[in-house]
Amino acid sequence: MSRSLLKILALGVLCGALIVRPMLASAETPLCELASPAEQALGRVLASPSDFSFEGTLLLERADGREFLAVKWPEPTGGGSLRRMNTAADPVVEPWPAPAGSPDRICDVLRLYSPSLDKGRIIAGRETDRLTLSPRDSLRLLHRINIDRATGMALAMATAGPDGQMLERYEYAEIRYGARLAADIEPAEATRHDRDRVVVPGFFLILEEPDGGVFVVSDGLATATVFVEPLPIGAPGGEGAVIKGATLTYTRGVPGTGGGLLISVLGEVPLVTARLLADAVRPPKGAE
Amino acid sequence: MTTRDKDKEALSALMDGESQELELRRSLDSVEDDDALRAWWSRQQQVSEILQSQRSSQTGVDVSARVRSTLASQPQFQRNPLWSMAIAASVTLAVVMGGQALLPTAELTPAPLVSDIGGAVVPVIGAQPIRASFDARPVPISTQPPQGQGTVARQTAVAYERLARDRYLRLGAQHARAAALNHPAPFVHSMRAQTDSPLEVQDSK
Repeated sequence: MSRSLLKILALGVLCGALIVRPMLASAETPLCELASPAEQALGRVLASPSDFSFEGTLLLERADGREFLAVKWPEPTGGGSLRRMNTAADPVVEPWPAPAGSPDRICDVLRLYSPSLDKGRIIAGRETDRLTLSPRDSLRLLHRINIDRATGMALAMATAGPDGQMLERYEYAEIRYGARLAADIEPAEATRHDRDRVVVPGFFLILEEPDGGVFVVSDGLATATVFVEPLPIGAPGGEGAVIKGATLTYTRGVPGTGGGLLISVLGEVPLVTARLLADAVRPPKGAE
Repeated sequence: MTTRDKDKEALSALMDGESQELELRRSLDSVEDDDALRAWWSRQQQVSEILQSQRSSQTGVDVSARVRSTLASQPQFQRNPLWSMAIAASVTLAVVMGGQALLPTAELTPAPLVSDIGGAVVPVIGAQPIRASFDARPVPISTQPPQGQGTVARQTAVAYERLARDRYLRLGAQHARAAALNHPAPFVHSMRAQTDSPLEVQDSK
């Protein structure tokens, strides 16, 4: 390959990067290149809902039935708010946090999920593109997101299990957008992806309270929380799991000379991931 | 006095710390073969524990491991005051999450688990798929029935399934708050955090 051809290729890559990056409707600059329309759509949806103010109502379907919610973003006090419309009268206003801001996050998600984009249906009177995030391994669930073509908002989202069956979903019935928010709006809370602490392939430690026996891991999209408690002396070892919507709860009792551990993993993850996370728990050196 | 009555008397003596060794061995054999007697002893154990204000069921009692395991795995054991207190207690062990290395360390050698998979090495391929559900429901743990442990293994499995349900109700809100930060629609998790208040733990079987 000639030098001139290499120069042209390098120039092309550079120009591509310069063109694509400003297309992101996010205040954050991802640390990886978003080349395809699907990757750019993912960048937009992970930035939302921090880009636009909005109010809307939606239907959430999960394990224990259906619930209509009225949501609003942002509130003057920070974060968003929701009201449960199934409540008979005067539903309480409940807060919800801003999504975590991390330039690494989209890169993590792209490494672990394969995005594909096709035309979506009309949702809440708005045109959407359908983004499918297929896990690249068996440690994650599949997500289908209908993204507002104009704003990047996730107007509908469904999560499916390893066998493709839907676990839970939500969909806006109506949405009203307000002004575009200032580019420098800060996320209410940021998670820390500690890349040196990969607990299970693709799952980073984002929160750690060793003394409290709580660990939170995430792959940028799915989150699992590991709780560790003492297992009563004499309790038999064993394991069990239940699922509600997309949330799996897995418990394992590991008897030991010091009384053993009772490990609980809660997360939107397959059973195999929960088991691997439980495997990663061990007492500190000398604790036994 | 029937043989069962004698067994009950011997087990009562055992709980009072007054049993004779030979008689105890015979009674333990009877317990293993007699579901009704085992259930009776289990109830007695629970009553005794309540009366003794959360003393450990193993304290000062020398029963065979198999029988003790059977008792501990009865479905009612979550109502054992000691067990419940241990679960609800905020005092936990200081632990670490090991990165990448998935095999347990030498300090913590897992006891045999009820499934064929066990706690030491977990195969990634071949896990049971999780099916959609419109109610909290158990997830099959193993593709094969427990080997060699029969009823005890099944009872332990049921107990841990109930425990998982209880853990979801107690810890779900804390998990939801953490998960909301990484979801494109944070309110989905936030709603969970405040919806799933603790309910009575139900036996799924």
